Amino acid sequence: MFYLSKIEHKLTLPPYLLTLPIREAILSELERLFLDKVIAKLGLCISVYDIISIKGGSVFPGDGAPTYLAVFNLIMFRPFTGEIITAKLIRSDANGLRLSLGFFDDIYIPKHHMPDPSHYVSTTSTSKTGTWYWDYGEESFAIGDSEEIKFAVQSVSYPPIPVEQPKDSKPFAPMVVNGSLNQDGLGPIAWW
Amino acid sequence: MKILDANVAPLTNFEVLDFLRSKGASKDPSRVIAKVAMSEYKVYDYLVNTSANVQTREDIAEYLSGIKLHDLSEAEILNIVNIRPAAVVEIYPIIEECPDRFPDEEVTEIVELVEKTLPTVTINETAVENTEGDEETDTQAHENGNVSQEKTEGEEPMDTS
Repeated sequence: MFYLSKIEHKLTLPPYLLTLPIREAILSELERLFLDKVIAKLGLCISVYDIISIKGGSVFPGDGAPTYLAVFNLIMFRPFTGEIITAKLIRSDANGLRLSLGFFDDIYIPKHHMPDPSHYVSTTSTSKTGTWYWDYGEESFAIGDSEEIKFAVQSVSYPPIPVEQPKDSKPFAPMVVNGSLNQDGLGPIAWW
Repeated sequence: MKILDANVAPLTNFEVLDFLRSKGASKDPSRVIAKVAMSEYKVYDYLVNTSANVQTREDIAEYLSGIKLHDLSEAEILNIVNIRPAAVVEIYPIIEECPDRFPDEEVTEIVELVEKTLPTVTINETAVENTEGDEETDTQAHENGNVSQEKTEGEEPMDTS
């Protein structure tokens, strides 16, 4: 789930941080820049692991902030295909399920990856949400709300930033994980 | 920004949890004091509810030396440490083409190795039901829920206060 990635970055240190010792100042600026942000192909940055080197410190004319070249390690959240993750259900609708890890919410199980066979029942005739049931033999098992669900990662995609979005659409998700429940041992952990 | 090495090393959940703990994260409700950011706390909250919470370096080292006897890929070994499967059926999604690569006895051997080396966490039903609502109330619920741990040979229970 988590990987260490080595990054080199040229950053300027705003003057209000110059009272701190250099390491702390650079750490604080790196956290402001990278923490909780998605880097394409690398994943979601969870934390700055450590700083390997800091070079530079020159001040360019007309600028009050010194520029440093820092090399550091970041802890990235990047699930690989085939990884099994336990997450919580936050939304269940006709297109499938949406799961959350607390720090990452854009995990989708599209309806063609639900355990086979299964069917969907909407809560009321007009609502957009409902419950999915897995039909195993004679019985139907429900996937209840807020349950811990184990799923296998199918793919991780980084959609490009859209230029314009229609007004009511979901906020843009820079990283989307698609999962599957169609294997033995997957689904709500209460089932197994 | 230049990516020097996208993949220096994969980390187990335990290592990330250990790192966050060394930064000062804890279950303490007053979280302003530690130098840990809110987003890092969310990761901490997630990991504390997995079996990574009760693992130690020695356990994982023991597990790694034992699992070398079986022919598993690095991703599968990592998956098993993170999930801690308790039954054969939980191994099936982790290992690709399990029935073809491993006979049933070997799969049970792997489960037994996991049971022996990696400690387990048992959480009461009440703690699981309490996890609704936003992150702030979540931490309180985890404080109130009962997290009991089973001792493995010679391992001391960790402080859950």
